[in-house]
Amino acid sequence: MLSFFAELVTRTDEDRRAFETHPVIVDAVASGMSVERYRALLLELYHVVWHFNPVSAAAASRMNDEWMPVRHFLYEHMHEESGHELWVLNDLEAVGVAPEAVRSHAPGVHTLALNGYNYWAADRRHPCSVLGMLYALEVIASVYGGPFAAAIRESLLLEGDHGVSFIGSHATLDAQHMAELRQIMNRLHDEEALAAVVESTSVNFHHFTRIIEAV
Amino acid sequence: MTVTPAVGVAGLLGRPYKTIRLEWSSDLHMLRVRTCVRPIQCYSLAAMGELQQMLGDISANPGLVRHFVMSSDVPRVFNFGGDLALFVLLVRAGDLESLKLYGKRCVDLVWWMENAANLGVHTTVLSQGDTLGGGLESVLPFHKVIFERSAQAGFPEVLFNLFPGMGAWDFTIRKAGFAVANEMILSGRLYSADELHYRRLVDVVVEDGQGELAVDKIVRDIDPRHRGTLAALRAQRLAAPVRYESLMAIVDLWAESALGLTDRDLRLMERLARAQARKAGGAEEGAVEELKLMELEHAWGERRARFDRRNVSHDRRVRS
Repeated sequence: MLSFFAELVTRTDEDRRAFETHPVIVDAVASGMSVERYRALLLELYHVVWHFNPVSAAAASRMNDEWMPVRHFLYEHMHEESGHELWVLNDLEAVGVAPEAVRSHAPGVHTLALNGYNYWAADRRHPCSVLGMLYALEVIASVYGGPFAAAIRESLLLEGDHGVSFIGSHATLDAQHMAELRQIMNRLHDEEALAAVVESTSVNFHHFTRIIEAV
Repeated sequence: MTVTPAVGVAGLLGRPYKTIRLEWSSDLHMLRVRTCVRPIQCYSLAAMGELQQMLGDISANPGLVRHFVMSSDVPRVFNFGGDLALFVLLVRAGDLESLKLYGKRCVDLVWWMENAANLGVHTTVLSQGDTLGGGLESVLPFHKVIFERSAQAGFPEVLFNLFPGMGAWDFTIRKAGFAVANEMILSGRLYSADELHYRRLVDVVVEDGQGELAVDKIVRDIDPRHRGTLAALRAQRLAAPVRYESLMAIVDLWAESALGLTDRDLRLMERLARAQARKAGGAEEGAVEELKLMELEHAWGERRARFDRRNVSHDRRVRS
């Protein structure tokens, strides 16, 4: 029998591939994007990152002691992710968007759908759904974040981490997170939780693709 | 999940595949398989699942398929090999189990090819473009390997501190000898179709655009001698066997080595993945050009290291 994490990787591989092979993603990873599109992407990303910890907190608050290891894992994770939306703000400032403009930016429908689903899933589907959000977003950051940051640097002639600090640093940061996520998932042996995590992974990859497609 | 094997040609062709396209020639009992894992032609989990399903259907219908021919539907690319993004994901997650599982799925495919003669199937593969890493490993167990002249192949894994772990050693040693396997796997360099032919890894090299004709000719030449040819090929593989246990032991070693990749190694892998994406997006230059660049950097790095070492020892002599 496969471990929980291996099952998740196998069952959602086509969702990951659908994200990776979407023409807009292929083009962004290969050639970067214009500064206008990059700004638009960071503006959406700000709202995704802002809700990352509140979604995790909502899920943690619904976990009884049956899920205590996952709840404790979420506490640690939230601590590490705390304040990361400010990195996005800094990157936006580096590419010419003032913080006031970011705060007044209304997120697009795909961002609303992504965040809305994640709150709903934590509340109504299964609190472990949050692990699907974490998995999808960390795969995006740790696997595709590095090449994407490199492509953005080249296309916008940015120096070092200037303007790409969030994406660039999460490429390495999330590598460690991925290993921790695998360890916590492999302590689970619950088919209902697995189904919820698989669904959540699928939905997160789907909506994130739409967000990038729309900018 | 267990899937009921298909029955007959209609069953074999009737499955809704996404990454392979099947054609049937009833006069030759030939199954043509064209792979199309878009946009990056590699051995993704889904592609391998579909190939395994199709091969399982052939095994479940003994005597139905006499000739199996594989080629690619993607222009200028036969196969880039492993799914690099999946490798990066699994390595970063430290997931040894999934890496071994991926390796096992690859080995199961080459193992089917290795045993195709026992199922009464003669196998032919046509490469019309880049054939890298696992892509090259996958062609080696075929009975006949045809390359169009501009196709290039190699095992680049050593450039990012890994090695090809799904049959490269066993099949290259058997076809071309230990020295060639050493040279190809440890150098990571790319070889032209003619160089591969010279090393006996490729059986036939034809001009670009002539591959389909070559396939037709080979299949029609073999067909009247099908039974005798397969008997001889079964004997050939008894004389120089490749063992499943050896393939799987190497997969285990490969997976353990992959877990030891550093961030720098993974970044090189990502660079290659980015080059694949560029070519998929229509750019002229892709993974092959990126690999040549990596080879060059590697060579310059070594030359520079030798130069630095010489200077250090010269300085020491001067000081003493």
